[in-house]
Amino acid sequence: MVCLARLATPTSEAQRQRELLTALRTGTASARVALRECGERAARGLEAYRANAESIAERALASTFVTVQTMLGRSDFKHLACEFWRAHPPERGDLAEWGGALPAWLAGHRKLTAWPWLADTARLDFAVHGAERAKDGVLDAHSLSQLESADPAQLRLVLMPGTGVLDSPWPIVSIHRAHQLAGEAGERAFAEVRAGLAAQRGEHALIARRGWRAIVYPLDAASAAWTRDLLDGFDLAAALKRAGEGFDFTAWLGTALREAWLQGVAACDN
Amino acid sequence: MSFAGGAAGVEIDIGIGLGHAHYAALFEAPPALDFVEVHSENFFADGGAALAVLHRARALYPISLHGVGLALGSAAGLDPWHLERLARLVQRIEPVRVSDHACFARAVPASDAFGAGMVHANDLLPIAFTEAQLAIIAANVMQVQERIGRPMLVENLASYVSFVDDEMTEPVFLAALCRRTGCSLLLDVNNLMVNALNAGSREPLGACCAFVDALPAGIVGEIHLAGYADAEPAEAGVDATDEKRSPSIVVDDHGSRVRPAVWAVFEHALRRFGPVPSLVEWDTDLPAFEVLLGEARHAAELAERLAV
Repeated sequence: MVCLARLATPTSEAQRQRELLTALRTGTASARVALRECGERAARGLEAYRANAESIAERALASTFVTVQTMLGRSDFKHLACEFWRAHPPERGDLAEWGGALPAWLAGHRKLTAWPWLADTARLDFAVHGAERAKDGVLDAHSLSQLESADPAQLRLVLMPGTGVLDSPWPIVSIHRAHQLAGEAGERAFAEVRAGLAAQRGEHALIARRGWRAIVYPLDAASAAWTRDLLDGFDLAAALKRAGEGFDFTAWLGTALREAWLQGVAACDN
Repeated sequence: MSFAGGAAGVEIDIGIGLGHAHYAALFEAPPALDFVEVHSENFFADGGAALAVLHRARALYPISLHGVGLALGSAAGLDPWHLERLARLVQRIEPVRVSDHACFARAVPASDAFGAGMVHANDLLPIAFTEAQLAIIAANVMQVQERIGRPMLVENLASYVSFVDDEMTEPVFLAALCRRTGCSLLLDVNNLMVNALNAGSREPLGACCAFVDALPAGIVGEIHLAGYADAEPAEAGVDATDEKRSPSIVVDDHGSRVRPAVWAVFEHALRRFGPVPSLVEWDTDLPAFEVLLGEARHAAELAERLAV
C-alpha cells in the first residue's frame, strides 16, 4: 500500500537521508520522507530505529563512563545517555570514540548542579578509556643509559602511550577507587569520599596502563606538575628546574620504572 | 566444521560471530570452526586488550572482518578516518573476508536542532533502491576496495521502513551493485525473513525463497544466520509468523536461536548458490558458548545433508 505517494519525493538521495535522519533524531516523522509504510506501521518502524539508537547510546557510554554510570544508577544514566545522544550525536562510526563532550555537557546540565564532581569523574573515566585503547608501549631499557652521560638539556623522558594527568577540585581519585571496591573496603572508601567532598578536597590523578588495564594513581601537586611537564615535552633539565630542589628525581624514577610509566629516554628534537 | 561430502567433495566453511563474552570459552577449548567473524570497529584502537585478543584468535582461525560503520550508502560519502582505520586493521589481521552493509548512517541532519555538523547514526539505516542511490553506494564500495586492495562483501539489510519511490527491487539493486563494483553479496537470510514479515507477507518463506531465486548465481560470498524478535512482544506463545499476532514489527536483534523458517531459507540458498561460507550471528542476550556452537553445528549438518 502506498500511503504517501501524494508527497513530493526527495530531490536527491542526500536530501532523503538528511530527512530520515532528522525524523529519527527528532521523533517526528517528516512529511518529506516518503515512506511506503503508513500510519501505525510507519510509526513502529521509525520507533524501532529510535529504540535501537537509544540502546546503542546507553551501551556505548556505559562501557566508557563506568564510574559515572555506577554513581547515577542505570535508569538515570540511560536517560542522560539518550539526552546526550540528541545534544552531541556521534560523528564517527566507532562509538568508542564518542563521549569526549560528555564531561562539559554534564558540568552544564541544570539537573546535575548538586553533583559538581560528576564532570571531573567523567573526565577521569574518559581518560581511563583512552589509556586502555592507546598504543601498546614497551620500555626501551637501552635508552635509559643516556641518563648517565648525556646533557639533561638534550634529553626528554617519554612516558608510556595513554599516560595522562588530571587535576580536580574534587576527590576524583577517591571516587574512582571507591566505585571499584566492595564490602567493608568499599564502605571505608566511600566514607573517605564523603569526607573529601564535604571538605572539597581536590586531588590529582595519574592515569597509566598496567598491562591491558589503566590504573588511576593519586599524585601530589608537585608530582602532577612534573608529570604534566614531561607530557608537554619539556627537556629533562627544564623539567627538573621547574620541579624545584625539593623534587626527588631518583625516587620518582624508581617508581616510574616499577609501575611501568616510563617508556624511555629520547634526544630532544632541537 | 568443514565437511567434505557428496560425490563432488563439496566443502562449506562454517563460522560464528565472536563476541567479548565468548573469548574465554573460545581460547579455553578452541572448537573446530572454519572461521570466526568480528565487528571491525571493535578493533580500531591503536592498541589494548581487544586487539591482542583478535591477534590470538587470528592464530587459531581465519578472521572475517564484518563492519557496521562504513555507511556504504551514505550520500555524504565515507569517513576517511573510518576507512583508514579499517585499512590498518585489514593489514594487521589479513582477514579472509571484509564486509559491511548496504545502508547509510552519515548525514548532516536537515534540522539545525542538533548543530550543523556531520552525524553518524551508528545504525544500519535503509537506502532507497534507485539509480541515484546505486551510483552512490557503488562509488563508496569502489573507494573501499581500492583502499584495502581487495573486493569486499556487502550485506542486505533488515529494514523497518522503505521508500515509496524505489525504482527497482532489492535483488536487482544488489545484483547491479555487485556487477558494477566486483563486490560480492553477504546474504543475510534472517534479514530476508524479517523484511518479509514486516511487509505483511502471507507466505514469508515463499517471499524469501523468491528473493534468493532472483539473485544471479555466483553472486553470494557468505551467508549470515541469526535470530529475530518481536519489537513489542505479543502475548505468550504467539509467534511472529502467527496470523493472530498484532501488527507489530519484528527486529533483527541477533538475540536468539535461528528460527525454523530461516533455516529453511538457508537450505534453499545453499541449493541455489552451492557451498558458500556461512556464519551464525548472536550479538545480544548471549547464550552459553555451547549453544552458539550448536547452532553452527546445525548449519553444518544441514549443508552436509544437502551435499550427500
